[in-house]
Amino acid sequence: MKSSTKASPAAKQNKKTESKDEFVGGQKNPQIATLESLARLIVEEAALQGATDCEVRLGTSESVDITVRLGSVEQLEGAQSRGVTFGAYVGQKSATTSSSDLSKPALRKMVKDTIALAEASEADPYAGLPEAHHLAKGVPDLGLYDPNIAAIKIEEKIKLALATETAALKADPRITNSNGASFSDGGGITVYANSRGFLGSYQGNYCSLQVSVVASEHDEMQVNYWGHSSRSFKSLESPESIGKKAAERALRHLGARKVKSQVVPVVFDPQMSARLIAQFVGAAQGRSIDRKSSFLLDKLGQVVASSHVTIVDDPLMPGRVGSRPFDGEGLPLKRRNIVEQGKLMTYLVDAYAGRKLKCEPNSSATGNLHLLPGTQTPEQIIASVKNGLYLTGVSGPGFNAVTGDYSMGASGIWIEDGKLSYPVSGITIAGNILEMFSAISAVGDDLQFRAATNAPTILIDKMTVAGE
Amino acid sequence: MNIIATPESELNSLFGLSYAQVQKVLGDATKSSGGKNAFCDIFFQAGSSQSIALDQGVIKNTSGSTVNGAGVRVVVGDKTGYSHTDHVNVTNLRRCAGIARAIIEHSSGVDNVPLASGGKQHNLYPVANSPVDADLAMKIDILKKIDLFCRAHDPRIINVSTSIVCEQNDIIIATSRGDIFLDRRPLLRLNVACLAQEGNRRENGSSGGGGRLDFEVLLAEDYWRDHALIAAKQAIDLLAADPAPAGVMDVVLGCGWPGVLVHEAVGHGLEGDFNRKGTSAFSSLMGEAVASPLVTIIDDGTIADRRGSLNIDDEGTPTTRTVLIENGRLVGYLQDKQNASLMKAALTGNGRRQDFRYAPMPRMTNTYMAGGDHSQEEIIRSVKRGIFASNFGGGQVDITNGDFTFSATCAYMIENGQLTRAVKGATLIGNGPKALHNVTMVGNDVALDRGIGTCGKNGQGVPVGVGMPTIRINGVTVGGQS
Repeated sequence: MKSSTKASPAAKQNKKTESKDEFVGGQKNPQIATLESLARLIVEEAALQGATDCEVRLGTSESVDITVRLGSVEQLEGAQSRGVTFGAYVGQKSATTSSSDLSKPALRKMVKDTIALAEASEADPYAGLPEAHHLAKGVPDLGLYDPNIAAIKIEEKIKLALATETAALKADPRITNSNGASFSDGGGITVYANSRGFLGSYQGNYCSLQVSVVASEHDEMQVNYWGHSSRSFKSLESPESIGKKAAERALRHLGARKVKSQVVPVVFDPQMSARLIAQFVGAAQGRSIDRKSSFLLDKLGQVVASSHVTIVDDPLMPGRVGSRPFDGEGLPLKRRNIVEQGKLMTYLVDAYAGRKLKCEPNSSATGNLHLLPGTQTPEQIIASVKNGLYLTGVSGPGFNAVTGDYSMGASGIWIEDGKLSYPVSGITIAGNILEMFSAISAVGDDLQFRAATNAPTILIDKMTVAGE
Repeated sequence: MNIIATPESELNSLFGLSYAQVQKVLGDATKSSGGKNAFCDIFFQAGSSQSIALDQGVIKNTSGSTVNGAGVRVVVGDKTGYSHTDHVNVTNLRRCAGIARAIIEHSSGVDNVPLASGGKQHNLYPVANSPVDADLAMKIDILKKIDLFCRAHDPRIINVSTSIVCEQNDIIIATSRGDIFLDRRPLLRLNVACLAQEGNRRENGSSGGGGRLDFEVLLAEDYWRDHALIAAKQAIDLLAADPAPAGVMDVVLGCGWPGVLVHEAVGHGLEGDFNRKGTSAFSSLMGEAVASPLVTIIDDGTIADRRGSLNIDDEGTPTTRTVLIENGRLVGYLQDKQNASLMKAALTGNGRRQDFRYAPMPRMTNTYMAGGDHSQEEIIRSVKRGIFASNFGGGQVDITNGDFTFSATCAYMIENGQLTRAVKGATLIGNGPKALHNVTMVGNDVALDRGIGTCGKNGQGVPVGVGMPTIRINGVTVGGQS
């Protein structure tokens, strides 16, 4: 279990409404028609009330979360949510408001209040919706809804969670405690419409299973977890596999110690590698480039990584966790290479950034972002390292997207003579992300699609480890 | 004419419900529980927020949001059922109660009933008008002044990003023990970030502050100018900063926000839930020496106007001042109702939640280290070679093994007792039950942060305060690049 504190730039508003983007899909149901007609009503109402342009996002969602701990049910949660976010433009002035009240009188009032808020604000010459010809022409069916998930009975969900925890607890006598196992599922509908003629909707659902357990020996405790989220119940990783993996991950950190400060090669496991890819690609946002707040400024078309690195964004993959048929502005999505054999191919440009950077928008959203696999097995990569770190965990906020400076708390397994030797913790790893990407000398063949960003094992030739 | 609001009158005006209707839902949620003691509470929230931002010299999209919802919780011993609705009416509350009470059949036989919230509600933030309703033109004016001030500070400042976020939440909590509580919570936040450029090098500096304050506070020129100056100066200083060194060294932490150390190294590990379950690195250490005798750590939700303060927690319990570590010895945990009843401990007023969509957990409020004898200058002078860090991005902790990490955005080398040059990118790492044994000097300048912290736990964010005097810690691992 990890907890964090940060100086957040601003309170995140209406988190639940936003996160409905996760519940994408393709099957029509009567609720979609109702939400679509509400969206049309809002767009019409906004024009009547004096908005020169507007956009609206409506969504409903349902979720069930079941947690078991030490062999019995600990927490049951079930909820239905709904929400609306409406953006109005009055010339170049704009405002956005959100609420969970979808009654017609409340929606009319929301339109009126939002327009008033826009009028009271100031003009931004670059504000505005995408041009009509930039908008998505159709909504592809990505197969994001699995009726088998909706049909799972609560008893079955409890059984799955219990089996997962049992598998973890029974894996080894040193697994002595549990933070619980949980099965969650949910689904929802997202409708997006704007005054430039776009109306699109999609439905989707997901299920997930995870467990967190404590390994202990002498006075030491190490916690770790494993889990899987899927849009298809059939392809959800089995309770036995998840439980065993969680136990292994906790056990392998028992006896962790510090190492001396030194400069060494670092092998990133697939989770750590995916996290690094997400940090890198985050800096390619057109808005950050425009604000000169990115280490990728002035790097378009240039070499930003070693030739082993090709990073692909592919939101239209059928049935994946990160899939969606169109983006948050109604822009179309398609497969694209963000980095190709080390060269930065594109920035991620929304309508606003497009106007500022004087280029065509291509969507700022990514989905199923991944690093293309190489040819070596993870074992071969580890075997190639004489003395170095196999990184399995990082902590802290130590990444600066303006400069690319990277300094994180780290834990993992020390590699000696090509073999995983002993666990380490209480150390840090540091470098500059551009130098780190140039030093990627091997990419594993172990790419799996498990999350919104995915990557195989990678080897970075040189990083500073601080320890004793 | 102002009619004094009561929980019952607000239930009616904000949610269109009578207290009798709510009592019926609470009663039905807990009846026929097979001889087990079940507890139910309903958390109602009616809130609004507004955010306005200036970037690259222009006012960006202004945004507002309203929430109106309720969460129904049923507790039987160590089991919890929870459901929420964002469309509050009797039908939906009954539906939620039906889902939440399904937990009763899973009771393990333990059925300690959560304690009633005793004591008097505080009045820590008597703000007459919601900051959300303050005039938009005034907010825009402040942002523009900040933009001009920062750009005038140094021509190398090439962008200013600044925002004001205001919130107001009216909270009503009704329980099956017959309690009903009302709290009105304003929250204000100013953020300033400056981007400085020299040649091809760019650095970001930031500052921010706020609290449960009247909007008028932001109008004072001293207030916003202070934050603008800190952000601008930090960005400029970083332009000349070298990479931080890597290795073990003595570290001096400045007062205020560096108290994030206390929050991560100690605070989370003392939350009741982890200790009841035995998953905290502090689980078996009650009464033991877990820090140097110079160290006393307190969680205090009762400080006026503060971001982390509450008149009552999110279960209706008045917040308290809880000593967690006294002269180095572990003496207290932070509790919510469920964990306090299971651990047979007193309530501390730390049951908090992000909003009505979530069940409460033990959470910190304002957590700080008490002051000592030394001046900051004395402490810096005592170090032969080390770093002085006064500004941090934030931190993280693994509660079970106690390893914590926090990252300095800007720090300075100390050489022979003098601050010599700026360094950047220093991550500090340590272990909770061990690191504070190495505190060798504690300053007399205890201060809380300026009101910028958000704490994340199990996916829920809540506003918190942290604080500390200047302290010296020996032998900290600093993770720089050089």
